[in-house]
Amino acid sequence: MANNVKISLRQFTVLIMFYTIGTTILVIPAPLAADAGQHAWIAAIVGWLLGLLVVVLYVSLGKLFPQMTFIAYIEHTFGKWLGKPISLFFIFFSFVTSSIVLYYIGNFMTTQIMPETPIGAFVILFAGIVLMGLRLGLEVLARTAEILFPWFLLLFTTLTLFLIPEIEIQKIRPIIEIGFKPVIRAALVFAGTASLPMVVFLMIYPMSLNEKKGAGKAFYTGTLIGGIFIIIITFLSVSILGAELSAKNMYPSYALSKKINVGNFIQRVEILMAGLWFLTIFFKATFYAYGFISGIAQVFGCKDYRPFVIPCGMIMIAFSLVVYPDVVYMSDFESTVYIPFVISAGLLLPLFVLITGLIRKRMMNNQGVESDDE
Amino acid sequence: MKDRDPFYYILQPDFVLMNRRVYKQTLVARPSYTLEIQRKEWMHMTNNHVQTEPLKDKLEDNLNKIRNELGGSDDIIIREIGFGKDRIAHAAVIYTDGLADTKLITDFILDSQTQGNHAEEIDHATDEDNLLDALKSLALNLGDHKEITDFAGLYSNLLSGNTVLLLDGFARGIAAGTQGWKGRSVSEPVAQSVVRGPQEGFTETLRTNTSMVRRKIKDPNLWLETMQIGKVTKTDVAIMYIKGIVNDKIVEEVRARLGRIDIDGILESGYIEELIQDEAYSPFPTVSNTERPDSVAAELLEGRVAILVDGTPFVLIVPTLFISFFQTAEDYYQRADISTLLRIIRFISLFIAMVGPALYIAITTFHQELLPTQLLISLAAQREGVPFPAFIEALMMEVTFEVLREAGIRMPRPIGQAVSIVGTLVIGQAAVEAGIVSASMVIVVSITAISSFVITGYSMAISIRMIRFVIMGLAAAFGIFGIVVAMIALVLHLCSLRSFGIPFMSPFAPFIPADHKDTIFRFPHWAQSTRPRLINQKNTTRELMSRPTKPEK
Repeated sequence: MANNVKISLRQFTVLIMFYTIGTTILVIPAPLAADAGQHAWIAAIVGWLLGLLVVVLYVSLGKLFPQMTFIAYIEHTFGKWLGKPISLFFIFFSFVTSSIVLYYIGNFMTTQIMPETPIGAFVILFAGIVLMGLRLGLEVLARTAEILFPWFLLLFTTLTLFLIPEIEIQKIRPIIEIGFKPVIRAALVFAGTASLPMVVFLMIYPMSLNEKKGAGKAFYTGTLIGGIFIIIITFLSVSILGAELSAKNMYPSYALSKKINVGNFIQRVEILMAGLWFLTIFFKATFYAYGFISGIAQVFGCKDYRPFVIPCGMIMIAFSLVVYPDVVYMSDFESTVYIPFVISAGLLLPLFVLITGLIRKRMMNNQGVESDDE
Repeated sequence: MKDRDPFYYILQPDFVLMNRRVYKQTLVARPSYTLEIQRKEWMHMTNNHVQTEPLKDKLEDNLNKIRNELGGSDDIIIREIGFGKDRIAHAAVIYTDGLADTKLITDFILDSQTQGNHAEEIDHATDEDNLLDALKSLALNLGDHKEITDFAGLYSNLLSGNTVLLLDGFARGIAAGTQGWKGRSVSEPVAQSVVRGPQEGFTETLRTNTSMVRRKIKDPNLWLETMQIGKVTKTDVAIMYIKGIVNDKIVEEVRARLGRIDIDGILESGYIEELIQDEAYSPFPTVSNTERPDSVAAELLEGRVAILVDGTPFVLIVPTLFISFFQTAEDYYQRADISTLLRIIRFISLFIAMVGPALYIAITTFHQELLPTQLLISLAAQREGVPFPAFIEALMMEVTFEVLREAGIRMPRPIGQAVSIVGTLVIGQAAVEAGIVSASMVIVVSITAISSFVITGYSMAISIRMIRFVIMGLAAAFGIFGIVVAMIALVLHLCSLRSFGIPFMSPFAPFIPADHKDTIFRFPHWAQSTRPRLINQKNTTRELMSRPTKPEK
């Protein structure tokens, strides 16, 4: 379980932020615009606030079990026999999503940049660094995030600044005409891609943080900052590409960066901006895989998850090649199955654990009081 | 060149004497007795393979044994002499020719013997101890002396240039410090020259080097510990640190790691570096080296430990951070703003040296849309006659350049010039005209090469040269994606490194705001109030200075 590994709050915040942004930033404007039209950015703000509620849940779970990982407290609350299958569900969720992220990166590369290269090549290369990061451990990943963060910030600021001249305000008009239902639906999509997957951070929160005090604050800060980046991208996407084009594009923010044109000199720099996605997706994939691999190790009672990295990684790579047979299946899965799937793993499961944990704690306390009385 | 300096021989004896004085100070200045014991244990630990056979009573037996075991080597001089009025005390003076200062030996030992200064003492010496004391006082004329009781001590003294005095009838001897061989004199550092700043560099003699550091830091807390490493070479290795500033755990760790070394010979500090570094398999150096006494002094003041090895001017510094390889001594001698700018330029050079050719390959192969149209057309026109893909083209040029560079360094100087002319002609022009490479490729290779020279840490620059080829390969296969993946992998690896327990990438990761006073930015000296935090955790205050103020009216 590598209990001795500790990361600082600053590192945790950066990790949360990268994780919130990863993959979300690349795809989110499309489903948001499809549901909420020109109000996609408002939907993003609603989703962002909704995400905070999810974090409230995770933070209170962390307060209840400050010295355990998610897997450990599932077993603690449900007992060994019931706990293991429930843990396996969480592991299955991390496994599927980590393969999906690997598929994303491969799909993005093969459809947008290098159509002739087989998808396996990208997936294997990318999984290579993900596994390398996992083998080096949480501490190294946290430090890497700290180093890469300024680069991310630099690229993102450049992207935003260069895109500002392209904004056409009439594309987001009318603003007031807003339907409640589509926005909520879009906000759910937002929370499903950006906030709920953060359930895997329960594997390290707050056990692997060097300070327990302020850990919750770090969680909130990371989510908030990450959300701001996504809101900005969504806003740029609907105000530059328009709602319709954003919804039809598979990777709207990539299409967005193609619009950059500064003095007819800096143009078509989308591949440099793709660096943004690679960086953030790396952290997304790594922490999904972390949830999967360290989850497996803990379910089987192993102290260290590292020996599992290579074999589990191979399964992940193989699965990512078959997880979606084609893009149509992917968008179908995404719009129908994924949201309930992520809600059950990221919302219902922790909620269930929290409620059971609270009840058990109260019962224990009552028992304790009773025994004291006797 | 220095050997032919006419002043060299004149200066040499003075130099030796000066060093000895410094050495005595070192001995006096060492305040801790326990440290002495530690040092002895440690000496014992490193020398445990030497059998400690005690000296024999009869002088003749001793001398025969020495002659036998040293194989009658010509440079071992054994002079048998008689002491006292009637030459009753039979003694032998043993030294190694070339290592010991012959003039000193003749002046002090042989003169005093013939003049009989100590003759009476020796005559009156009745018992064993008195006689030996008399001999000691004789050796005192030479300065430093030690008593030896076994052959191991005798050999180590003899072969490090000391003179051994043996007296007939005693199973003990005296080693007098007469070290004085011909070494290179202090000269300008070759690899780390500066425009402004001290122009002296370390030499091959350990004692000279330690004295140069002491001249910079005149503080009793500057401690020096010496040990011998290498079963055969018995090389003197010294560690220096400032007690009270250094982190004691790091000193412990250095001691422990040096103590673990079990090797036949240490010929350069590079041996030590490889044997004590944290991560055995990494292209990046986690121990830095310098040949400048002022750099060593600055590092010691930051709480680091210097490892000086006899026989090389390159001193190791631990713990080392990634950022150390991008800082020079001169950064601190010139204005702060200029130093900051230069450091930024060094970082830009790092990126060019690492990904320059890779970016060229990626852009010309996969991402042509990045280039402005005119440039793209002219590039395409240049590459029209080139039969190779960009990767092969870049690989050819880079390899050629590396070959030329290696040739330029190894060749004797007059031929080196010829090589560079051939290189310029062949690579610069002929290759382009012959249509083997494009002109733009030549530009890329040149800028990469020049950038790699900008990185101040030479050992870092070579690892970057190496990594460049890997990134080129990834760029050829995956374009920018490959480069980004390579960079993430590189950052992951760099973040996993530690140097004597200190994270290699600090103060970037873990991010320490206070230490950014002297990383990429070099704050003015009055603003650098604290020492690096991870390296020394106590005594962090460097200075209490406020900004210089204008005179009040």
